[in-house]
Amino acid sequence: MSPESKKSKESLELQEIIDAIPQEINEESPIKDPLGDLIAKVSRRQVPVRTLNRIWTLGSMQAKIAVGYLAYAIRRNFVNDTEQQRLLNEMYIKTAFELLGTMGYLRGGILKIGQMLGSVPQILPEQIADTLDSLHFEAPPMHYSLIREVFLDELGKEPGEIFASFEKKAFAAASLGQVHRALLKTGEQVAVKIQYPNMAATIRNDLRSMRTLLAPIKLKKQWRNCLDHLEDAEEMLLSEVDYRREARFLKKVRKLFNSNDQIVVPKVWENFSTDRVLTMDYIPGLHLRDYLETNPSQESRNHFGELITIAFFRILAKHQTIYSDPNPGNFIFMDDGRLGIVDFGSFRKLSDEEWQYQTTSDKAVLSKDLETMDRAMAESCFLKNAAELAPERIEFMRDLTFWNYEPAMEDRPFNFGDEDFYQRGIDIYTESLKKSYIHYKSLLNWWARSIVYHRTILYRLRSCIKYRHICDRELM
Amino acid sequence: MRISQKAKEETKERILQTAEDLFLDVGFEQTTTRQIASATGIAAGTLFNYFKTKETLAMSLLADVMNNGREDYSKRRSGEEDFEEDLFLLISSELRRLRPYRKFFGPVLESSMSLFSKSNSCPAGESAREEHLEIVRQIISTHSLSRIPSFISETLYWSLYIGILAFWAGDESRNQEETLELIDYSIKLFAQTISGNTSSSE
Repeated sequence: MSPESKKSKESLELQEIIDAIPQEINEESPIKDPLGDLIAKVSRRQVPVRTLNRIWTLGSMQAKIAVGYLAYAIRRNFVNDTEQQRLLNEMYIKTAFELLGTMGYLRGGILKIGQMLGSVPQILPEQIADTLDSLHFEAPPMHYSLIREVFLDELGKEPGEIFASFEKKAFAAASLGQVHRALLKTGEQVAVKIQYPNMAATIRNDLRSMRTLLAPIKLKKQWRNCLDHLEDAEEMLLSEVDYRREARFLKKVRKLFNSNDQIVVPKVWENFSTDRVLTMDYIPGLHLRDYLETNPSQESRNHFGELITIAFFRILAKHQTIYSDPNPGNFIFMDDGRLGIVDFGSFRKLSDEEWQYQTTSDKAVLSKDLETMDRAMAESCFLKNAAELAPERIEFMRDLTFWNYEPAMEDRPFNFGDEDFYQRGIDIYTESLKKSYIHYKSLLNWWARSIVYHRTILYRLRSCIKYRHICDRELM
Repeated sequence: MRISQKAKEETKERILQTAEDLFLDVGFEQTTTRQIASATGIAAGTLFNYFKTKETLAMSLLADVMNNGREDYSKRRSGEEDFEEDLFLLISSELRRLRPYRKFFGPVLESSMSLFSKSNSCPAGESAREEHLEIVRQIISTHSLSRIPSFISETLYWSLYIGILAFWAGDESRNQEETLELIDYSIKLFAQTISGNTSSSE
């Protein structure tokens, strides 16, 4: 490619990014130009080599769009007291984005969010579902020589010494690691989840640097809690690298289901598990995509949709815990109609106060008590009463809340395969990203993640289930 | 009275064994050549007939350990490894053997295996370097990977390898897992450089 055509491609891309960003920015050239410069500077850094997975740049179109939104959202919230302060803020943001560009494990997430932000409204519900399916934290793939070293450090022996057999090739990607099939010497088939070395420290260091960079930026009041969200993101990421924590939760959840429930949670093999290696029963069956390819009956789709919903509510009711990573790779559709759940890396326990708040909100929404509902919404935005919220924001939050609860408002079976329902929800959530409504308690992030994933899986399954009935029964 | 070759070898072995015990118990910095000589039961001057400095003594000790690591590599190797796995196995097998000596590896590395130490090299350091590189040459040739002159690939490799060793010597992360990450990335970088596959597109 000639330098000229390369340059024109760059400016074309930049225009596309600017076009993908909210309208106001296109009208305000004083913001638009420096933003364009900022994105262009940050995204021009080249990836040195193709497979150095952790090092990546914001070079792809999707990533640039996501970053464009973020830059826009942060910039318009500067307290513009002096030009000098503004320039200083720009510098901090630029450095923060450069750091973001090296945080390879966020890559999948940032690309997918950019894809959604850039393509709505042309994107089809099916494409959104596909996008959400592959939204996860990434780690570089590990070859067997590296795995052997992780095993020697973690368990003091090589996989070949511990297991009767061990498949050198991973059969699934796990968040921040990978999963291998193995056979115990006692004959049991197991799935061994292995984490890429040093993930926890990398995440901790990156987010610490990010906070340090963003802290001096003087933002308007409602933007100050962006640091709380960052802390929340750190908690979410770190919870996925702590395999002992996951093992403890697995053991607790396993006790919630008996054979009549048809929900299987694997047993943890503690002798072969550590902070970085998690050995569990192998659950044979199909992942969502393969299951759907078998063209299952509506009855079977409803059945699995019900089981997923039951699992979600039982965990919530019995442990006051949000299971916030119900992504399709975590569910195994077994031949005999049982559902296997194999990943418990991401969950959030509610405090008594949060649980109380949730119960009150549930009642208010289900009885359409708008006054109590608005008060609860205000509280979740750190306000004393709803009058302090802008009418547009109240309207938006009501829409979001009603969409979240819509399936629970009907006694008859709810059709999660309804495209209109799914699309409306995704539009609302995308709108909240576009409008950068971020001044709210970080717990809502966990709910959003959990609800959107649940709706996405049930949409893909085209399940039509008595959702309200399940809610009532499990939450009683 | 002339000392037989066999007796010389035995004395050398005793010095090495004593030094190893002292380095591990007392610490490398805290141990003097005088202490080593006295604990071995020889005169201080005699020790210098065998090893010119404390560092060259330590390097001889470490060269043996690295040799054991390379033997481990040969045993652990299945022959199915691709280039990156193969090289990773070599480096990690050596480092695992060297682990007990990590605390005093830094100063020894500096004086005996540094990129600049060729002119005043210690023979043990030089032969450790040569034996290690010989295996690397074999690995590169087995996988028919290199598209660049061998002196360039070897120099590049040795720079990366010394960098890894230096990082590892001071790596305070749990089980030196940062070093594992560094080796992984360094090997990928090396493989792509010597194979000429340096495309920057994503």
